[in-house]
This record gives sequence, structure tokens and C-alpha cells, in this order.
Amino acid sequence: MKTEKILEVKHLKKYFPAGRNRLIKAVDDVSFDIYKGETFGLVGESGSGKSTTGQTIIRLYDATDGEVLFHGENVHAKKSRAEKLKFNRKMQMIFQDPSSSLNPRMTVLDIIAEGLDVHHLVKNEKERKERVEQLLEAVGLNKEHATRFPHEFSGGQRQRIGIARALAVEPELIICDEPISALDVSIQAQVVNLLKKLQKERGLTYLFIAHDLSMVKYISDRIGVMHLGHMVELADSEELYKNPVHPYTKSLLSAIPLPDPEYERGRTRITYDPSIHDTSEEPKFREIRPHHWVRCTSKEFEQYKKELGE
Amino acid sequence: MSKLLEVKDLRVSFNTYNGEVQAVRGVSFDLNEGETLAIVGESGSGKSVTSSTLMGLLPKPAGVIKSGQILFQGEDLVKKSEKEMQKIRGKEISMVFQDPLSSLNPTMKIGNQIIEGLIKHQGMNRAEAKKKAIELLDQVGIPHPEIRVNQYPHQFSGGMRQRVVIAIALACNPKILIADEPTTALDVTIQAQILELMKEIQRDTKTSIIFITHDLGVVANVADRVAVMYAGKIVEIGTVDDVFYNPKHPYTWGLLGSMPTLDAEDEELYTIPGTPPDMLNPPKGDAFAPRNEFALEIDAVMEPPMFKVSDTHYAATWLLHKNAPKIEMPESVRRRIEGFAKTGKKGGE
Repeated sequence: MKTEKILEVKHLKKYFPAGRNRLIKAVDDVSFDIYKGETFGLVGESGSGKSTTGQTIIRLYDATDGEVLFHGENVHAKKSRAEKLKFNRKMQMIFQDPSSSLNPRMTVLDIIAEGLDVHHLVKNEKERKERVEQLLEAVGLNKEHATRFPHEFSGGQRQRIGIARALAVEPELIICDEPISALDVSIQAQVVNLLKKLQKERGLTYLFIAHDLSMVKYISDRIGVMHLGHMVELADSEELYKNPVHPYTKSLLSAIPLPDPEYERGRTRITYDPSIHDTSEEPKFREIRPHHWVRCTSKEFEQYKKELGE
Repeated sequence: MSKLLEVKDLRVSFNTYNGEVQAVRGVSFDLNEGETLAIVGESGSGKSVTSSTLMGLLPKPAGVIKSGQILFQGEDLVKKSEKEMQKIRGKEISMVFQDPLSSLNPTMKIGNQIIEGLIKHQGMNRAEAKKKAIELLDQVGIPHPEIRVNQYPHQFSGGMRQRVVIAIALACNPKILIADEPTTALDVTIQAQILELMKEIQRDTKTSIIFITHDLGVVANVADRVAVMYAGKIVEIGTVDDVFYNPKHPYTWGLLGSMPTLDAEDEELYTIPGTPPDMLNPPKGDAFAPRNEFALEIDAVMEPPMFKVSDTHYAATWLLHKNAPKIEMPESVRRRIEGFAKTGKKGGE
């Protein structure tokens, strides 16, 4: 197990006001760590708060409560302009929709070089162009593409441009917010292979947010499952798929359609019934096996342990 | 099993400012009574254009049926006027769309939206129709249908809305239900519920379903037969077991290989290089050849015909010609399919 923590999320909360003194608790007391060089997958259905978590980590939202530590430094603390710049360089984001996340009026060269300009990473025009061309090649595009505009590219190619832009400032952590959901199946595999290759070459760390569980399983080392703003289970991806403990995780896993007719014919779906939970006390995040955490009450903890045969 | 629908050499083009886009280029298939035929393909493969043509919903004047026949109970739908199609649409053939929110009218109570078809096609009066609407909502698994019937679409969740859309589509007991990506906008757990509902309904009503999707997992779940489309053509068609366990077309290999399995494996995903062709200028010969690592010389010159693999299984690739070199599917894809068969046994226990 890698030991160096690159990111620590501690009791993170993000509430949105919904009028008339009502609050939407999009993220409610979520804690997890990300280690250097790993891929941490965050899965959940729409409304589970997985994207809000990602956006709060990179400071697109201010946290309501709790803290996010990046290399031990609080992300949400008051910062000078220079400190903010330094932080932004280390953490980058890839968005879901490759067409709306690229400025249609800018050339690919300017889109990718924007980060280089902001951080003064290149000295002159020639160096700027060279860097962009290197980046384009790294993500599998040609240098001739630099002078074109986003609309001249297909969805998969646009996502590659988004990846090149994120890579430009040489970040350590990249938050990938559903980077493949908008792409076709054959293109998804291309982008996932590219992300894996870049990780190997550059030692990147990914926070991979998605709802496609089979892809998340494929790319992630560890996975956190979110449901209604809570992290309900967190484990190594193998462990999570082999021994899911929380009833919600079980139902989510049983709902994944697999491209295997035989399996689909025999499949039994598990439905999640929130009323089976023990309500005698507030559930807490507990470690049921080494590195396998589940949100439960003490009574449920004993029951889950028995189910796991421990 | 008797044939309910026969599509013969359908060709559909769109006239655009840039020229003629050949969206569907000679599609033929049959639909039997009571079966589910899945049409899979990437965006731009022509699967949705095929389905809107069946419904007579091609945008006019841009969309043109260049040739072909759609025989439904012996009558050619291509020749029908808009007025005649209105009698068939919703009554004999109905459709469920991808996004349930935009296919419902936000300003109408859902009861009234279900009733519309019943009054028009079945000549019911309002009271009868309303009773039937409540029955239908109950059938698609909406709790408290007598209250829900008087509510508006925004009061329903995404999954419930899709149930309403299915209830509307089923209102007149159609013979064919065309479902165009009906679960793509839904979460996986809700998707599983909707798929179960559709299968249940099919068992009860014996409706034939054409299921359009890009998700092979969903296909494996719902389909009896599968047609794989690429660049406006069907490249492989067969029973679900034929196509998933014994695929013959390199494109199908690529699709199956590019999906990760749940078994641990760190190897790279098999990918299809490149991007789908531009249908403004479809390539000469086999449209898939530029992305096909197994392409033969003939692929650049001539389009492959449909070769017969078995009575139920056909594929359009020159690799099946008797003079073609023996080429088997890539090792990684073969292992993957064997892996599927294994998990399949597990699921069946």
C-alpha cells in the first residue's frame, strides 16, 4: 500500500440553500484520503453528491464545513493570489462534456496554452507552440490540430484536448468528473487507455468520478460509494466487488448490466430498502476489515462482520 | 413465429447544406411476433434514423427515404400518407424515447396525456379512458395511480416519468413498441427496474419490441436477437447468443473487447482505432475497413455482402468468404468472451 497521502478529505460538508430555510445536504460528512499515484474511484447515482465532492475539493465551491488537505495544506483556507496560483497548478480537472468545457472561439493552441500563460511557464511564442505540440502528441492528436477550433473535432478528440489542457501545467492530481460518460463505447476504451498510459508515464494521481461501475472498477485502485451525500462504503476495488457489505452497494452492483446473455438470464437484482437500517443511533464510518470501511451503526457493524465471516 | 415487420433495403438520406448525408444505407431485417430485437451501434450509425423512419417521424423536408420497403402486416409503410400514418402511430406501432422529461408535455396532467390516444384511437369516452389510464399506471408499477393520474410530469422522478411514457406507449395495445435508448438517461438501479418492467409487459401482452441502445450490457439483458449497425448498415445480426458468444464481424469483436469485465485484469482494453466515417462521403468498399486491423485488400474496393454463419446468424465481412484467410478473433477478445461464459454460470446458479 502506498503511504504518502496526497489529499485528505475530512468531514467535508457542502450544503446548498433551497429557499424557505431549507437546506440541500449535497455532501454530508464525507471523509477519505487519496494516496500518491493511485486512482480513487467515486461512484454513485445522480444526486449522490459525487460531483459536488469533486468540485468542492478543487475549490469550485467553498466547503460548508470540514476541510480538504492537499499535501497537508488546507485548500479552503484564506490564500493570497500567489498561493492560489500555486495550488491551481497542482490540481486540475477534466470535465464530462467535452464540447461545453472548451471555448468555441479559441483555437486548440490557445485553449491548451492558457494554463501555460497564466502560470508563466513558457518564455516565448516558439516555446509555447512546442509545448502544446508535445502535449497534443502525448494525448494522441497531431500537431496540425493546434490551429483548429473545437467544433472541428469529434467528441473523443475533444476529450483528448481537455486532457491535454489539464496536463499542460504538470499537475499532481487530476479530478476526472465523468470523463467518458458522453462518449461512445469504442471511444471510451481509447480515452481510458490514454488516462492509464499517462498515469504510468507521469506518475499522476486521479480522482475518477463516474456512474459506470464496470469502468470505475477497471480503472480504480480503491473505490468509494456515495449515496445521498454520504460515503456508504470504501474499499480496494477488488474487495468492494467481491465482498460488498452495505445493502446499497449490493443493490448497485447487482444492477450493472453485463454484456453476457447467460449471466443476464440468471441474474437476480437486489433492491435497496433504506428502512432495514438500524435507527437506534447515528451511523458512523467504521473499518470492518483492514482498508474496508462501511457506514453503519454499532449493531449493524456486528451483523456485517458476521456476514463477512470475521 | 410469424413475421410482423419486414424491412427491406431501406435507404435514408438527409439533404444538408453540405450535401447528402447517407444516414441509412441499405438496412434489411425482420421482426417476429413477441420477440425483442436490439439494434446496437455508436452515435451516427443510423440506428435512431432507422427507428424514426419506421414510425414515419423522419424530419421533413431534409430527410428522404431513397428506397426500400417497410412491410407491416403486408402493407408498405413507406407509401403511406401522413394521415394514414397517424392511424398507425400510437395504435399499431408506438414509441418510447430517451428523455422522459422532454417527451411529456409539462403543462398537461399525465392522465390527460394517456387519455389522448385512447380517445383518438379506441373511441372511448373520457370516463372510460380515465379508468383505463389508472389501470395502465397501475400496470407499469406506479403506486397510488388514482392520485398520480391528476399530477403533472414535474411531480414525478425520472424513473417514474419513464414508466408514464411506457404507459402512454402501451395504451392502445400496440403490436410493436420501439424503444429508443429508453434507459440511457436513468441511473443503473432505475434502469434495471425499467428493463424488468418492459420484459414483464412483453410476457403479458406479447408485444414485439425494437430496442435501440449503445449499451451491450442492456442488450444482453433484454434482447432475443441483436443487429449491430455501423455506418448506416447492419454488419452482424443473429440471436443474442450468436452475437455475444460467437461474434464474426471485427467491429463486434471491437465492441465486446472494449468493455471491461468485473473480473480482475490489468491488461489494456481492446480498442477500435480511429473514429466512425463521415457519412457525407462514405468510404468506398467496406466502411469499417479503415479502422479494421484485419481488413483485406478487397475491403477497399467492394462492400461485403451478408454471409450466412448459421440459420439465425449473418455477418457482413469478407473474412467469412471461402477464399479469405483464416482469421480468428483477437486473443484478448476471446479470453473476455470465455470470461463472460464463466460469470454467466455464476449468475445462473
